[in-house]
Amino acid sequence: METDQYYVERCLDGHPDDYRHLVRRYQPVLLAHLAGKLGGKDSAEEAAQEALVRAYFKLEKLKKPEAFFAWLLGIAERVAMEQQRKEQIRRQRESVRAVAEAAPPPELSQDYALEAAVAGLPGAYRQVILLRYYGGRSCRQIAGQLDMPLGTVTKTLSRAYALLREALRQRQEAYEVQP
Amino acid sequence: MNCDTCKERLVAYLEGLLDDPQKQQVDDHLQACDACRAELEGLRTLQARLDANGKAVAQSNVEDEVMSRIAREQNTRPKAAPQTGTGLRIRRLIMKSPMVKLTAAAAVIAVALLVIVPFGGGTVTFAEVIQPILSAHTVIVDTIVGKDETGPVIHDIVKGSMIRRTASNMSNVMVLDLDGGRMLTFDPQTKGAAYIDIEGPLAEGTKSYLGLVREIVTRLEHTDAPVKELGRQEVDGRQAVGFQVSEANMTLTIWADPEKAVPIRIEMLQGQSFTILKNIEFDVPVEDSLVSMEVPPGYALYEGQLDMSEFTEEDFVETLRLWAQHVREGEFPDSMTLEDLMSAPIEIEQLDLPAEETMQLGTRLARGYLFLNFLAHGSGYEYRGKGAKLGDREKAVFWYRPEGSATYRVIYGDLRVEDVAAEDLPE
Repeated sequence: METDQYYVERCLDGHPDDYRHLVRRYQPVLLAHLAGKLGGKDSAEEAAQEALVRAYFKLEKLKKPEAFFAWLLGIAERVAMEQQRKEQIRRQRESVRAVAEAAPPPELSQDYALEAAVAGLPGAYRQVILLRYYGGRSCRQIAGQLDMPLGTVTKTLSRAYALLREALRQRQEAYEVQP
Repeated sequence: MNCDTCKERLVAYLEGLLDDPQKQQVDDHLQACDACRAELEGLRTLQARLDANGKAVAQSNVEDEVMSRIAREQNTRPKAAPQTGTGLRIRRLIMKSPMVKLTAAAAVIAVALLVIVPFGGGTVTFAEVIQPILSAHTVIVDTIVGKDETGPVIHDIVKGSMIRRTASNMSNVMVLDLDGGRMLTFDPQTKGAAYIDIEGPLAEGTKSYLGLVREIVTRLEHTDAPVKELGRQEVDGRQAVGFQVSEANMTLTIWADPEKAVPIRIEMLQGQSFTILKNIEFDVPVEDSLVSMEVPPGYALYEGQLDMSEFTEEDFVETLRLWAQHVREGEFPDSMTLEDLMSAPIEIEQLDLPAEETMQLGTRLARGYLFLNFLAHGSGYEYRGKGAKLGDREKAVFWYRPEGSATYRVIYGDLRVEDVAAEDLPE
């Protein structure tokens, strides 16, 4: 498996087709991240597409190719934020004025609660969860990619699990209170 | 084995990362302990849920859309598209040179300094501001200079008076010991490491930079200026409440966690300069190994003395000389800003010096910039190097007024320095 850096450099060296490998590698992670934020499969796909295209055209600005993933997540955050603002404006125009906590749209993926909980994790924890479950990385691979000791990866995972379970529990309670 | 140890090891256990004796210990404990077994089940359920969701998400496929959009937009965005070769060559050039890396390290510190000085000597004292951070807390914060968030991101992990600093545009890791006045820098790419003396303005300035995070909060509490409430919205992926306050030439926007009332994002506009502090987290556990001043195993330590404890006019003259001689083929650079330093392609390897001299030269170059940086907030200076040639006796390239001095120091194209009265300065 080639490194991110390799593909980034290939793209910069005039082989745009190699970007496909990076898309393939990170789209599940990106989609999971965005689905939790935006609450819908369609909007997540739209945002993931936009983020990946934007990243490609900005590749020259990426000074540290081995940090492609973190950089891509940053771009995705911005895209998500823009989409949310657009959505807010659209709603205001329609004067629907739906509360922020309105019922999630119908085209949800199966486990929105989980995706929202993942999206709500602090950055460091989220990154490890995303890589492990949506990027299909082993703990050792994550340690290599993020340049941290293996023990730190498992500790981070452990803490992330605790945070996720707590978030899911709170959500559960909230739903039980308001029917 | 007790329950705490068992729980600590459960993730490694599930991931199959324990060696046989350790695994046996956990197995034995699980046999005997209902609570830990329940914990294990809870973890398994969550993992299964994550696995299932990961697989469901993997069904979506945007690959073809992305690739065809790139092909389409390649033509409509000619400038932004990667140009064959050049970007890569320049990057390789920059990354290869230890000098430039070290320089970039200095520049990152200095970039952070750009933030603080206007606040220095303000209403809150240094000690007050820094105490909470330096005593018990840890802070994690990303700093970005510039409005559009495309600039390099400086990532700081602060524990006590120790900082682990990385930046998105360089491979170096820096560990700063502010009390000890030392910095350890090491580069995972070249496996080189060096200690640098930062006693003095650099260490103090960095302290104030951290204090800024706190000062801003304090400021918001005590300001007389009206605070505008921006309401609630999602910021950096979290729910946040916003406040904005404007004073003199500064506008400050704070987004804070509505429950815990701690800031998560701070945007500062001072004059023309825009700084964003984001992903701020307080009191996150930080492992000591992250902020250790020990050279990591496998790294070669540079044995010489590297010093960034003071910055002199001489350093600056040297910087000008290096720049004009080796980078710009006999001309002075158009401008002398840290942004230039961080983004300029520097063909330093042409110098063909031994590694040690290159390191020394690198810190010297950085000191020149830091001289300028500290000057920028004190007495006024003027850079007129654009188009000027190295060796031109007539051309005044740079001048500044040292603190407490009646006359100006003027640096000419031939790099001699003279004292000149204010009325005799060039137009």
